[in-house]
Amino acid sequence: MAFQAPTEQYSGKIREVVIGTTNSQVIAGGQNTLAFHTFEGTIPHRPLIAMEVYDIEPQEWADALKEVIGDVWGDPVAWAKKCQDEFGADLICLQLASADPNGLNRGADEVAETVKAVLSAISIPLIVYGCGNAEKDGEILKKVAEVAQGRNIVIGPAVEDNYKSVAAAALGFSQNVAGETPIDVNMAKQLNILMTNLGLPAEKILIDPAVGALGYGLEYAYSVIERDRLAALQQNDSMMQMPIIANLGKEVWKTKEAKISSEEMPEWGDPTRRGILWETITAVSLLVAGTDILIMRHPESVKLIKRTLNEFGLMN
Amino acid sequence: MPKILFYPDNRVVEVEKGESLIRAAMLAGVHINASCGGSSTCGKCRVIIENGKVNARPSAKLSADEVSQGYVLACTTTVDEDIEVRIPIESQMGDSRVALERELETVTHGGFLSAKSLVDLIGEFNINPATQRLYVELPPPNLEDNVSDLERLRRELNRQHGISNFQVDISVLRGMGALLREADWKITATILSLGGSECDRLIRIDKGDRTDKHYGLAVDIGTTSIYVELVDLSSGETLAKASEYNAQVSCGEDIISRIVYSLKENGLAKLQELVTETINKLIDRVIEKSGVELDDIVHMVAAGNTTMTHIFLGVPPKYIREEPYIPTATFMPTVMASDVGLKLPQGTRVYTVPSRASYVGGDITAGLLGSGVYRSEKLTLYIDVGTNGEMVLGNSDWLLSCSCSAGPAFEGGSIKNGMRATKGAIEQVRINPKTLEPMILTIGQARPRGICGSGLIDTVAELFLTGVINEKGRFNTEIDHPRIREVDGQAEYVLVWAADSATKRDIVITEADLDNLIRTKGAIYAGITTLLDSMQMQVEAIEEVLIAGGFGRYLQIDQAMTIGLLPEIDPGKVKYVGNGSLLGSRLILLSKEAKDVATEIAQKMTYLELSTHAGFMDSYVSALFLPHTDRDTFPTVMKRMKVY
Repeated sequence: MAFQAPTEQYSGKIREVVIGTTNSQVIAGGQNTLAFHTFEGTIPHRPLIAMEVYDIEPQEWADALKEVIGDVWGDPVAWAKKCQDEFGADLICLQLASADPNGLNRGADEVAETVKAVLSAISIPLIVYGCGNAEKDGEILKKVAEVAQGRNIVIGPAVEDNYKSVAAAALGFSQNVAGETPIDVNMAKQLNILMTNLGLPAEKILIDPAVGALGYGLEYAYSVIERDRLAALQQNDSMMQMPIIANLGKEVWKTKEAKISSEEMPEWGDPTRRGILWETITAVSLLVAGTDILIMRHPESVKLIKRTLNEFGLMN
Repeated sequence: MPKILFYPDNRVVEVEKGESLIRAAMLAGVHINASCGGSSTCGKCRVIIENGKVNARPSAKLSADEVSQGYVLACTTTVDEDIEVRIPIESQMGDSRVALERELETVTHGGFLSAKSLVDLIGEFNINPATQRLYVELPPPNLEDNVSDLERLRRELNRQHGISNFQVDISVLRGMGALLREADWKITATILSLGGSECDRLIRIDKGDRTDKHYGLAVDIGTTSIYVELVDLSSGETLAKASEYNAQVSCGEDIISRIVYSLKENGLAKLQELVTETINKLIDRVIEKSGVELDDIVHMVAAGNTTMTHIFLGVPPKYIREEPYIPTATFMPTVMASDVGLKLPQGTRVYTVPSRASYVGGDITAGLLGSGVYRSEKLTLYIDVGTNGEMVLGNSDWLLSCSCSAGPAFEGGSIKNGMRATKGAIEQVRINPKTLEPMILTIGQARPRGICGSGLIDTVAELFLTGVINEKGRFNTEIDHPRIREVDGQAEYVLVWAADSATKRDIVITEADLDNLIRTKGAIYAGITTLLDSMQMQVEAIEEVLIAGGFGRYLQIDQAMTIGLLPEIDPGKVKYVGNGSLLGSRLILLSKEAKDVATEIAQKMTYLELSTHAGFMDSYVSALFLPHTDRDTFPTVMKRMKVY
């Protein structure tokens, strides 16, 4: 008798979250098994890659990035188009860094203009992340949800201190929400309960577990995502069955290892390859843990991830 | 038991004879206006007796005309027989029908370990205290019978009472010669038997016959509160009780901050002084209440957590705090009361109940003894909610204990208007789901001064069920209501307006209070689940839950489950034992056999260290939610929430 590999059957299934509109939508989730376990379940939608675009010109970014996106990073619209047309992004993740009260402190109306401009320039779906200041994000995401009405985007991150206004905005203008909690299974679930209690459908929610980069808590993020997934699949926990989104690009590219030049650290080798690999290894690890949407920065890392997915037969 | 029928709700409730009408209404889930805690000052709880007779105190708040119509104030009226009561429109809190739909599984009275069952507990042991008072008449010496005074006493104690083998305190000898002669050779000798390998001791002699004046003290030394009971060692009766905040609170609220304080220069001495100061104050109070003479208090048994025991005896608690968390001793020697600064008579000894580990102390040993867990056939969960929350799972065959730092919230500590369960403390709260107006009752039905543990549990549960706060304990500030407001950037709910309070200030519960309460209940719940997990047992396996702690008399089990302090379990399985530590101390004071059992408990109990336990932190975070992140484990609460 031929050897039969043992397989697991799970009682739960990840919800499908639709982002974008009919012509150009993507779907995250839908699988009834762990990541890459195609031999024991179905994975109807492959993991998605969102590429980052900032609404202000980046400062002190690694040369490895400057080489490939330096020409467009002063213009979010051009940058987004390049990600869509040249780099093959599945989605754009627009990071509204300019709203930061400790920085440019741009108002809701002003940042919403950028959102509108980017939306009109791209056909792929959009994710809009605020500046990370809970109160300010609550304000600006309301406006963002409004101007993006009809495009079914993702807004986030909703956190414990602003989930009410973010979820209300998403509900009012029919958008999706990424809810961020600090690397903890229970806190992720609690935020999901709070948001669904407000009437936001569970199919409109993504879990952002606030991941860390390789060498900066990746193993912790890995085990939390894995546990998120097991709760969803094994325990059929309805409040954990949302797709997982990992905002890793900015975590990777702020590390010394991804940034530092070869003059400063000659023994660390070619800085370009180093940065790209740092991002790729982080992304692959997060994929294996169970991530459904990766938010990434370098086009070469994106290429490597796509190649990996392809080799696993997931790009079809 | 008298039955009360409330109109227009048509709700029936049975209560003990002599219960006040307003508590009956609360028990029945009938909302009546009551904003003064039942102290008969607000005059809002007017009801009409339609059938049957009640004992109503006259009130200036009611006109002669109203009295003739059957009006009474619910708070000053007690019930002895079946009656029918109507709540007039003006006393109703809006539409009370909403409240009706609530599922109430009130077990308030059934949940309390009754006085009778306490007697049963003690009945397990014969009254056989460690001290004996013996009346002896000695033949005066003469030139023929010229043995020493002590030999004479020894001879007569042996002849008259069969006691010969004992040692003598030097303090007794110093006064013996004069006392025997002044007493005309008629004296009472007090003998202490320490048990084990130790020899009996003559600890004092007194003039005349004092054998019917044989008293002892049972003391619970809590991190936050200290309780003292004066017990008649002949009859077993408690003659007086008193309690007070542990004066050490001024040096830090929890155990860790006390240990830190003890490391300062003279810190330990200061802490030791403060605790004896508090006990001395309480001794004065029980002496005054009972009329007993201080000199007749011949023994004291104290139980406290391991740190409190160390400090009380002047033993540095330093290493309890440092990994691997080692106490200096779990079994402490019996000491002379005067050596630790207590104002008890010369010779009186203090026995401290043995601990199990650094964070499972003599208070738990005493509690397990007092509540009978150690001899129970049933799988019992014993929970002591104090500044530290200790939990023990087991029965007569095995005991598994653990401890988590719960914080003093349920004792009223670190809560803005929190207080201990004493007169004027709000102990029961209902909030009308429609009007969001509270119905409150205080201990002693006095003007409200603050909120005690049971009142806090009620408040959190009711705010949650009525949607005033969310699962995280955050206020829904979108509700437009005068009682829900923001002060200095912090949301709060006003339970009592200044005009009705004893403090002339609003009594509120703030978002920070809710945070503390949720952390406290989360730690306790996580401790329970960790114990169960490590025995690979389910909640369903628990046959009895005993809750100890200073919550107040009316701890309501279903409310404790609503906030997720306790797992959902048949409320009939849950009993509130009150102060378990004090109960056990009293038993040990009364019975040498009980003391031996306490020794056995402390030796046999297993201890689970939570700080290194992999699953505990996770259980804790999942319990920081109302009722719990894992909502499937609280089906009844989820059902109740839907009704609102």
